[in-house]
Amino acid sequence: MTDKILTVRMDAYPADSQTLSRYLDTGGYEALTKALDQMSPEEIIEEVKASNMRGRGGAGFPMGVKWGFLAPAEPRYLVVNCDESEPGTFNDRQLAERDPHQLLEGIAISSYALGVHHAFIYVRGEYAKAARRIQNAIDEATEAGYLGKDIRDSDFSLEVTVHLGGGAYICGEETALLNSLEGRRGEPRLKPPFPAVEGLYAQPTIVNNVESISNVPWITMHGGAAYAAIGPERSAGTKMMSISGHINKPGNYEIVMGMTWRDLIFDVGGGIPDGKSLKAWIPGGASAPWFVPDVHLDTIVSIDDVAANGSMIGAGAVVTMDETTNVVAVAHRIVRFFAHESCGQCTPCREGTSWMEAVLERILQGGGRTEDIDLLLDISDNISPGLAWPPAMTTICPLGPSAVSPVTSITRWFRPELEAMIAGSEVAVG
Amino acid sequence: MTAVISHWSQENQSAAKSILDRYPEKRSALMPLLYVASLEHEYASDDAMREVASLTGISAAQVLSVASFYTMFKAVPVGRYLISVCTSVVCYLNNADEVLEAVEGTTGVDSGGITHDGAISVERVECIGACGGAPAVQVNYETVEGLTREKAEALVNWLRDAKPPVVLADEMQQLFGGQRSFDWGPMDPDGAVRPIPAFGPYGSVEEGR
Amino acid sequence: MADNAQVETVSITINGAVHEVPAGELLIAAAEDLGENIPRFCYYKKLAPVGKCRMCLVEVEGPRGKALIPSCTVPVSDGMVVDTESTVVKKAQKGVLEFLLINHPLDCPVCDKGGECPLQDQAVEFGPGESRFIEQKRTFTKPIPVSELVLLDRERCVLCDRCVRVADDIAGDPLIEFIDRGNHTQINTFPSEPFSSYFSGNTVQTCPVGALTSVDYRFKARPWDLTSTRSVSLADSVHSTVDVQTSMGSIVRVYGVENNEVNEGWLSDKDRFQFGAFQDGSRVTTPLVRDADGFTETTWAEAMELIASRLGGFLGSEVGAIGGANNTNEEAFVLGRFMRSVVGSPHIDAQIGDGIDPHLAAAIVDRATINNLDEASTILLWGPDLKETLPVLYLRVRKAVLAGASLVVVSPYATGLDSIATHVVPYRAGSGPEVLRKISQGEDEFAAVGAMLGTGPVVVLVGRTSLSEDPRLVEAAAAFARTLPESRIMPLLLRGNVFGALDMGLAPNLLPGRVSTGDADAVALLEDNWGPIPEGPGKGTMEMLASLVDGDLKAIVLAGSDPVRDCPDPQTAIDALENAEFVVAFDAFVTDSSRRADVILPAAVWGEVDGTATNLEGRVQRLGASTPPLGKAMSLATALDGIARFMGVEMNCSDWMLVNKEIATVAPAYGGLTADYLTFEAGDDGAIVPLRGVVQPLSYLPTDVKVPVVTDRFTLHLAPSMYDDSVVLRHATILSSLHGTAEARLHPKDASALAVVDGDVVEVAGIELPIAIDVRVVPGSVVLPFNQIATKGVHATAAVNIQAVRGDV
Ligand SMILES: Cc1cc2nc3c(=O)[nH]c(=O)nc-3n(C[C@H](O)[C@H](O)[C@H](O)COP(=O)(O)O)c2cc1C
Ligand code: SF4
Ligand code: FES
Repeated sequence: MTDKILTVRMDAYPADSQTLSRYLDTGGYEALTKALDQMSPEEIIEEVKASNMRGRGGAGFPMGVKWGFLAPAEPRYLVVNCDESEPGTFNDRQLAERDPHQLLEGIAISSYALGVHHAFIYVRGEYAKAARRIQNAIDEATEAGYLGKDIRDSDFSLEVTVHLGGGAYICGEETALLNSLEGRRGEPRLKPPFPAVEGLYAQPTIVNNVESISNVPWITMHGGAAYAAIGPERSAGTKMMSISGHINKPGNYEIVMGMTWRDLIFDVGGGIPDGKSLKAWIPGGASAPWFVPDVHLDTIVSIDDVAANGSMIGAGAVVTMDETTNVVAVAHRIVRFFAHESCGQCTPCREGTSWMEAVLERILQGGGRTEDIDLLLDISDNISPGLAWPPAMTTICPLGPSAVSPVTSITRWFRPELEAMIAGSEVAVG
Repeated sequence: MTAVISHWSQENQSAAKSILDRYPEKRSALMPLLYVASLEHEYASDDAMREVASLTGISAAQVLSVASFYTMFKAVPVGRYLISVCTSVVCYLNNADEVLEAVEGTTGVDSGGITHDGAISVERVECIGACGGAPAVQVNYETVEGLTREKAEALVNWLRDAKPPVVLADEMQQLFGGQRSFDWGPMDPDGAVRPIPAFGPYGSVEEGR
Repeated sequence: MADNAQVETVSITINGAVHEVPAGELLIAAAEDLGENIPRFCYYKKLAPVGKCRMCLVEVEGPRGKALIPSCTVPVSDGMVVDTESTVVKKAQKGVLEFLLINHPLDCPVCDKGGECPLQDQAVEFGPGESRFIEQKRTFTKPIPVSELVLLDRERCVLCDRCVRVADDIAGDPLIEFIDRGNHTQINTFPSEPFSSYFSGNTVQTCPVGALTSVDYRFKARPWDLTSTRSVSLADSVHSTVDVQTSMGSIVRVYGVENNEVNEGWLSDKDRFQFGAFQDGSRVTTPLVRDADGFTETTWAEAMELIASRLGGFLGSEVGAIGGANNTNEEAFVLGRFMRSVVGSPHIDAQIGDGIDPHLAAAIVDRATINNLDEASTILLWGPDLKETLPVLYLRVRKAVLAGASLVVVSPYATGLDSIATHVVPYRAGSGPEVLRKISQGEDEFAAVGAMLGTGPVVVLVGRTSLSEDPRLVEAAAAFARTLPESRIMPLLLRGNVFGALDMGLAPNLLPGRVSTGDADAVALLEDNWGPIPEGPGKGTMEMLASLVDGDLKAIVLAGSDPVRDCPDPQTAIDALENAEFVVAFDAFVTDSSRRADVILPAAVWGEVDGTATNLEGRVQRLGASTPPLGKAMSLATALDGIARFMGVEMNCSDWMLVNKEIATVAPAYGGLTADYLTFEAGDDGAIVPLRGVVQPLSYLPTDVKVPVVTDRFTLHLAPSMYDDSVVLRHATILSSLHGTAEARLHPKDASALAVVDGDVVEVAGIELPIAIDVRVVPGSVVLPFNQIATKGVHATAAVNIQAVRGDV
C-alpha cells in the first residue's frame, strides 16, 4: 500500500525535483492529461469527494464538500493558500520549493473541475524562494502547454498568478487572504457569505491549502477510493507533519495517520535530545491546546482522535518541549505571536491578546500576583467563552481564541509551576 | 499613469505596468506595487505610497492603511541588509534569544534599528516558517537555518565586511547555517539585492554567481 | 410621508416572547424596534454592518446549540430563537466593555462627549468599578487636527469603523482610515492629506465616543444644558432636517436628523457649521440710515417711516424687489404681498439672474422626489456639480448609483460624480444644444448614452451647469427629459429657500401657489384677499437692474440678496444700485450690495425665525426658531408688516402662523400644508406640495434651435463651488478659511498654444489669475470658479479672451 504521495519525487530526486523535465520523467502532468481527455469536471469533483480528503490548511473541512458549494456565477476563482505562518508549520514551504509542478498540476486539474480560468497562489512575503520556484514552474509549464491558453489542445485555458503577501499571519485565514489579494487590509470578513458564494471580487471562490491541492493529481490518477483507503476512515490519505522544538530529527514527514503520538515523536521524530524527557507538545501548531505525555502519548494521531482529546491537528505542526522548558515563557511567546498578528478589528482579540501578553510578561519578570491566574483565565473566557476546543468565540475569526490555547494549557497541565513562579516572584519582589 | 511615475526607472515602470496587467482589478496590484515603489523610493515612503495610490486609483490614505497593516512595507529607511531574527516559539525553544543578542551585539543596534552607516537593519520577527531548522534568520528575506550565537556573529561580520552584492540563501547556509527544515535541493541561483523579497515579477531578485 | 407598502414578516423569539418582525431586518434593529436595546458601538443604522466591536453579542439557537453571534450582522429568520439577557451574553458584553475600557483614557470630565457617551453609559451600567488592568495604557498624542474642522483624539477611539465608513462608503472621500494593525491600530489621515471632506462633520456626529470632535464645539457646552430645536438647514435647497442645539441662548451645534425622504441623517459641513456666521460680531443688529457720513444707527420706527414715505413717493411700477430666497415661505409670501398689493409693483424676483424659468423650476409636471432616485434605473445629471452645490443630493445620487442605478453626467467640466458615472459627457461650454441634439438622437459616440437613457425609470436632474450658460438650455434639456421612459424631472436651483420663494410668488411671472400671473382665477382669488394687484408679468432681476440703470425703475428692495456678488453681470448691478433713487436692504450683513443702500434693516436669519420652507422636490417642512433674533434684528415679515402700516395698509402679517394660514387660503397648492399639519414629531418628514392637476404653460424650446457658440475666443465655464466668498461663508468662523484658491483652468493643448505653463498669470475676463493646466477641461474652454475672492466681479459672458501677463516667479 502507498504510504507516500507528496514527497516521493523530492525524496528520490533531491537534485532536480522542482524541474519540469524531472516532473515529466516521473509521470507528471499525466493526471492533467487524463482529466482533460477523459474526465468531465463533475467526475473529478466526484473523485475528490470520494477521496474523503480533509483540507490540510487547518480547519479540516472535506475538500469535495467545499467544492460542491461553489456557486454557479462567473467568473470563479481558485485561490491557493500558501501563507503558511503558524509557528511550527513549514510543510507547504517544502511542497512549494521542492515540487512546484505537483502543486501546479493540482491547480490545473482543480481549476478545470471548478470552471476556473484564473487561479491565484498567495505566498507569504517571507517565502520569496517558494514564490520564485513556483513562478519558474509556471513559466516552464506555460511554455510547455500545461498552463495558459487551450491547455493540451483542449479548450480549457488557465492563467496562474503568484501573489506575494506583505507579512501578516492573519492573511492565512481565507477571507483575510482574499481581502489582502484585493489590495486591502488583511482583515477576516464576516461569514456568511462564504467564499464559495462570494469570495474574490465578490465572485464564487474556492480557497484551498497547498498540501490539499498537491494531492489532487494523485487522486485524479488513482481515484478517490484509493485515496480514501489510506489511513483511518475520517483521516484519509497521507499528512505532512512538521516536527520541531526539542526533537532529535526535526523536519517534515509525510505520514499515514493512525499511529500513536509516541510513535510519531519517538520513532519518526527520533525522540528528545540529550536523553531528556518529554514535558509537553503542541499537536497542531501554536493555536492548538497542548498535549502532555501522561495523558496523550498513547492516543492516536488522527484528526478526530486529537479533536476528541480537546485539541487539533491543524496544519500538522508538532512542537515538542523537553523537561527543562519554562512553559510560562513558551506560553508568553505564543500569546505574543497572536497579539502581534491580531488584525485588530475585534475588540476581544485586539485588547485581550495584548493584555494577556502583558500579564504573562509581568509574571516572567517577577511581578506576578496570585490573582493573575484567574485574571488570565477570565480574559481567555471573554475571548473564548467556556474555554473549550474547538473554541466558542466572541470574535470574527479563531485567531483570538487561538491565543487562549497556551494559557489554558499551562493552567491546566502546569498550574503548580505557574503558581510557584508567581509565589517565587512575590517573595522575590518582596 | 506613466505621467505620474515617469521619473521611475525604466525597469520599475515596466514592472508596474506588467503587475497591473496581472490582475482583474487594479487595486489587487497594491501590494506588489508597494514592493516596486519601495525599490524605487528606497522604502515605502510617503512619495512611494502616493505613486501607488495614483497607479491603483485609490487615495493615499487607503494605501497607507494597507501598507501599515503589513510588516514588510517599511515606513522608515532600511539598510542594504535587513536581518530578521525569528524569536517565535520554536526558535525560542532553540535559543533564538541568544541569536538575537548576537545580532544586536555585533551590529550595535536594537531590533527596529539601523547601523550608523545605514548598511544593516535589525528586526525581531515572528515565525518565518523555518522551525525545523530553528533558530533561523532571514537576510533580505532569504533564509538561513540552524544558527548559533557564534554563527550569527559571523554572519553579521560577513555581511559587513564582504558586502555580498546579492544575498544568496544557499551561500549563507553553507557558511553559517546548520540544521535545516528539509533538504533544500539544488543551489538557488537567485538572491536579493535589497531588503525586498527577491521575486522575479517584482522585488529585488538578481542572479548570484 | 413614507408609503406603508405591505412588508413581509417573520416570527422570532426574543427572551421567550414571540414577535413578528420585518423579514430581512438585522436582528439588532428588529430588537430595537421591539424596545430591546442591545448595546453596540460599531453598528450604525445607515452604514453597512461590520461586526467589529463585538458589543452586540447575543445568543442564538442553532443546529449545534446556542451560539454567541453579533446581532448587528445577522438578519432575522423565521423561527429564530434569541436570548439577549443570558448569563453568557451578559458576561460576553461585560468582557467586551472591559476590553474597550482598559486602554481608554479617564478624561470624561473634559470630553465633549461626556454625558452622551455610550461607553460612559455602559460603563456605569456594567461597571466593574475598579480596573483589573494594571498595565500601561496605550498612549497617543492628543488631540490632533485631521482637518480645519475636526480634531481627533486617538486614545478615546474604540476603532468602531464608523468614521471610515461615513467618509468612504457614504461620502466617497476615503481620507480617514485605519493605520497600523492589532493593538497599534489607529484612525488617521495620510500625513500631507487632511480629512478635507465636505461631509466631515458627519463623522463627528456618528463617532460613538469623544474621539472625533468639531473644532467649533470643543469645550463649548455639556450635553445636559443643551436645548434642541427641530428645523431644516437652509444652506442649500435640499433642506436637510436638523436639530439645532443651543446653550445659553446661542447655537452651539447642529446635528443631522434621519429624515429618510431627504438627508437620511447626513449633512454637508455647510449645513452643519455655517450657523457660526449668524452669531458673528459683524451682524447688522440695528437699522442703519445713510447720511452724508455714511450709515447712522436709527430706530425701527424711524426707519420704517422713512421707507414708507420714500416708497410711497414712487409709482408702483417704478419699484422692484430682488431676493427672498433665504427667507421662510411666510416671509417670502409677505414680501410678495407687500410688493404686489401695498407698493403695487409686479417686479419681483427671488432669483438673481443665475436661475431658470420660474415655471420650469416651480411647476414642472412629473417632478422627481429625492427618493425617486432610489427606484431609478438611470439617472441623468445635466446641471451643476452636485458635490459642490447640493452636497446632500450628491450623497443621495451616489447612494442610488452604488445600489445599481446607471448615471450619465453631462457637464462642461469634471464633477464630483464622474468617478462613479457610467457615462461622462464633457462638452465645450456653450455647445450644450449641439450635444443635446446628438444625445437625443443617439448620434455617433452618443449611441451608448442614448441607449442607457432609454432604460427607465429615468430621473433627470437639470439645472444650469454654470452662470455663463444660457438658461434656455435647461428648458431644452427638460423638454428632452420628458421624452424619456417613465421620466421624472428635478429642476435644480441652489439657494436656500428659492423654491419656497417661487412658490410664494416671488417671480415676475408667478403668483403664490405656482400659478401664472396670467391666470385670471388666481388673480381674482388674490384680489379678494389683498385688494387690487398689478398685472403681470413683471421684470426679472436682470431687467430690473437694467431698468434701474436707465431710469425706468427708481427704487429697489433687496431682501437678503447680494446682486453685486451673485448676479452674472456684477457691473450692471453696481451701476443699478448707484443709479437708483432709493435702495432699501433687508440684510444681516453689510455686503457689496447692501452697503450701497439708503437704509439697511437688520434681518433676522435662519435659526431666529419660525415658519416653513419648500425644498427642491417641493417638500414643505417646518423651520424652528432656536434663538431670538440678534440685537434688534427682525423677521422680514414683521418688518414689512410695520412698513405697510406706515403706508396705511394693514396686512396683519406679523404673526407667522396667521401668514401660514393665509398661504393655505390664497395658494390652493398649499391648501392643507399648514404648520399644524407639519409637525416636529419624530418621523415627520414634511409633505410634498401636490400639483393638483394644474399644468403650467412651459415655454420649452425645441431641442435644436440653438446653434453652438462658435467663437475663436475661449468659452467660459464659471461655476459655483462649495466654499465660495459668499457673505455667509465669509462670516462663518470655521468655514471662512476654507474657500478655494482661484485659478484659470485650461486644457494642456490650449495652454501650450498660449505658451503658458502652470502658475503663469493671465488676464481673463478682466482679472488676473494664475493658470492651472487640467486635462479635465474641454479644449477651447476656460474654467473659473464663481465668486471666489479672486474672481469677484467677473462677468459671466459666453466667451472671453486670455492674455498671458507674466510667468510665475
Ligand atoms: C488565523 C488563521 C490562520 C490560517 N492560516 C492558514 C495558512 O497559513 N495556510 C492555510 O492553508 N490555511 C490557513 N488557515 C485556514 C484557512 O482559513 C482555510 O481554512 C484553508 O486555507 C482552506 O484550505 P483547505 O480546505 O485546503 O484546508 C488559517 C485560518 C485561520 C483562522
Ligand atoms: S479574531 Fe483577531 S485576527 Fe480574527 S478577525 Fe478578530 S481581530 Fe482579526
Ligand atoms: S455593534 Fe455589533 S459588533 Fe459592533
